[in-house]
Amino acid sequence: MADIKPIIEFKNVSLDYQDNRVLHNIDLEIEQGKFYTLLGPSGSGKSTILSLISGKNSPSEGDVLIDGKIVNELPANKREVNTVFQNYNLFPNMNVYENVAYGPKLKKLPAKKIDQLVKDMLSLVRLSDFEQNEITELSGGQQQRVAIARALANEPKVLLLDEPLSALDYKLRKEMQYELREIQQRLGITFIFVTHDQEEALAMSDWIFVMQNGRIEQSGTPVDIYDEPINHFVADFIGEANIIEGIMKEDYLVSFVGKEFKNVDAGMKPNERVEIVIRPEDLDIVAPSKGKLQVTIDDQSFRGDFYEITAIDDAGNEWSIQETNPAKIGQRRGLKFDPEDIHIMRFNETEEDFDSRLESYEGEE
Amino acid sequence: MKKLAIGKIYLIFVFILLYLPIFYLIVYSFNSGQSMNGWAGFTFNHYHELFSDARMIEIVLNTLIVAVLSSLISTIIGTIGAYWIYQTKNKKIANRILSLNSVLLVSPDVIIGASFLILFTVVGMQLGFLSVLLSHVAFSIPIVVLMVLPKLKEMPKTIIEASDDLGATGYQTLSNIILPYIQPGILAGFFMALTYSLDDFAVTFFVTGNGFSTMAVEIYSRARRGTSLEINALSAIMFLVSLFLVLIYYFISNPKKGGKK
Repeated sequence: MADIKPIIEFKNVSLDYQDNRVLHNIDLEIEQGKFYTLLGPSGSGKSTILSLISGKNSPSEGDVLIDGKIVNELPANKREVNTVFQNYNLFPNMNVYENVAYGPKLKKLPAKKIDQLVKDMLSLVRLSDFEQNEITELSGGQQQRVAIARALANEPKVLLLDEPLSALDYKLRKEMQYELREIQQRLGITFIFVTHDQEEALAMSDWIFVMQNGRIEQSGTPVDIYDEPINHFVADFIGEANIIEGIMKEDYLVSFVGKEFKNVDAGMKPNERVEIVIRPEDLDIVAPSKGKLQVTIDDQSFRGDFYEITAIDDAGNEWSIQETNPAKIGQRRGLKFDPEDIHIMRFNETEEDFDSRLESYEGEE
Repeated sequence: MKKLAIGKIYLIFVFILLYLPIFYLIVYSFNSGQSMNGWAGFTFNHYHELFSDARMIEIVLNTLIVAVLSSLISTIIGTIGAYWIYQTKNKKIANRILSLNSVLLVSPDVIIGASFLILFTVVGMQLGFLSVLLSHVAFSIPIVVLMVLPKLKEMPKTIIEASDDLGATGYQTLSNIILPYIQPGILAGFFMALTYSLDDFAVTFFVTGNGFSTMAVEIYSRARRGTSLEINALSAIMFLVSLFLVLIYYFISNPKKGGKK
C-alpha cells in the first residue's frame, strides 16, 4: 500500500465553523481507482470532508493534498475534482445536452471533442435518447443520472458524490447503487461517496470511513468494519448488533452473563472490562440444553426474508436474533453461536492500537 | 354552480366599470363632431389631425426616447444594484438599502418631482431632455431592483456552487447561469420601467422645461385649454401600445407556448 502514491491526502486536518470545531485532526489517504465511502450520521462531518476536497472550504489547520500538492486555498474551479450533489443542482436554463457540455465548454475543448464526450457520458448513464430534453421533463432518477454525466464529462481525477441517492425511492436507489459501482469500475476513477445509509456503504465500497462528531472512528473494508467494529458506535451504526459488557479473562477466553466462552480475540490485559458484539444473524435458536445461553423469547416481528426475534437472558440482557423460522413468544430456548461470532471491543481503543493488536495475534495463526 | 355565476357577473361588472371610460374615450376619437357631447358620425379626421400635428409627433417621439433610454439605463443599474444587495455578506446594510429603495417606490411622485426640481435648480442644470431622462432613470431603478431581487433570491445558491465546481470563473457563472436565470425578472423590470416612464406625469411636469414636453404633460395642458378630440385619438393609440406591451410581456413570461429549439 505504501508504494502507491495517494491521489488525495489529509494531514491532520481540522476545520472550524465560527467557534465550532466540525472536523478534528483528520488523517486520510485516497488512492487512485477505488470506491470510497464516508459513512456517518448527519452532522458527523462527512460532507465537510467533501467540501475540503472540492474546494468549497479551506482547512483551519493541517493540509489537504491533491496529487501530492497542498491545495488548501486552491479555489473549486481550479481543482480536478467534480461533485454530484444531493439535489442534483442541474442548470434549469439548459437542456440535458447543454448541462453535460457545460464543463467541457468552459475548458474550451474543440467542439468535436465536446460532442463526443457528452454523447459518451450520456450513453454511460443510459440517457442517450434524452439529449434535447429539458431538465423539468425528467424524473428524479434521470436528473440524478444527468448530474453524474455532467460531473464525469469534466474528466475529473476524483468524483465526489454527496448523498446522491438519498432523494430516490428504495428500488431506484438499489438500481443506482449497482449502476454507480459499475460506472466507477468501468472508468477506473476514484469515487468518494458520502452517505448515512450503512447498507449502501457496505454494498458499494472498497473502503469505508466511519465518522462521528467530526472524527473518523474507523476505516477499513466493508467486511473488516462489519466483522470487527472498533467500538460501540461503529458496531451499532453498521448493521444490527447485540452489544453487552463482559470481562476478558485471558487471551481467547471471555466471560459474560456469568459464563465463560471461548473466542478468537487476544491482546488485552487479563480481566479487562470489554464490550462484546454478536451479530443477530450469527445467533441460532436451539433447544435450551444445546444452547450456550438460555433465553426467554420476548417478541418477534416478520421482516419478509427473516424474523426479527427478541429474547431476554437470565441476566436481563436483550438479544436480537435473525431467524428464518418463527419462534413462540414466552418459550424458553437456547442460543447457539461459534467462538468466531464473538467480537471483542476495548473501551477507548484508538484505531492504531486496534490495528496493531489485531495484527499481533492474527499473525500467529 | 350558482355561486360561480354570481362571481363571474361581478367580475364582468368590475371590468366594465374599469374599462368603460377608456372605451368611451376611444369611441369618441372617431366622432365627427368637435366634442364629446353627442355622437355626430364616424370619422378618422382626428387621427389625420394628430398625424399632421408636427409638434405632437415630436412630443410622442420624445416620450418614446425618454422611456426607452431611461428604462434601459435603469435596468442596467437596477440589476447591478439587486445583485449587489443579493451577494453582500452584510445583511444589515443590504436591508437598509432595500428599505431606502422601497421608500422611493412608495413616496408620492409630487415629492420626487419637486425634490428633483430643487436639485436641478441648485446644481444649475437646464431643465429639458436631460433632466427628464435623469429623473425617469431615478424613479425606475427601484422598480427594476424590486423585480430582479426576488428572482435572485429564488435562485438556488447551489447551482452557483455547481457551476463553480465544474470549473467556471465568477464571470462565467454570472453570464452563463445567473443572468439567464434572472432574465425574466430583468425583462419584467424593463417593461415596468418602460410603462412607468411612458405615463409619468407628476415627476415630468416638475422637471421639464425649455419647450421639452412628453405626452402626459402635453395631454394635460391641452385638456385644460379645452377638449380637442385629437387627444382622444392619441389616448386610443397609447392604449393600444400599452396593450401591445402587456401582450409582449405575457409571452416573455410564459415561454411554454413556443417550443425552444
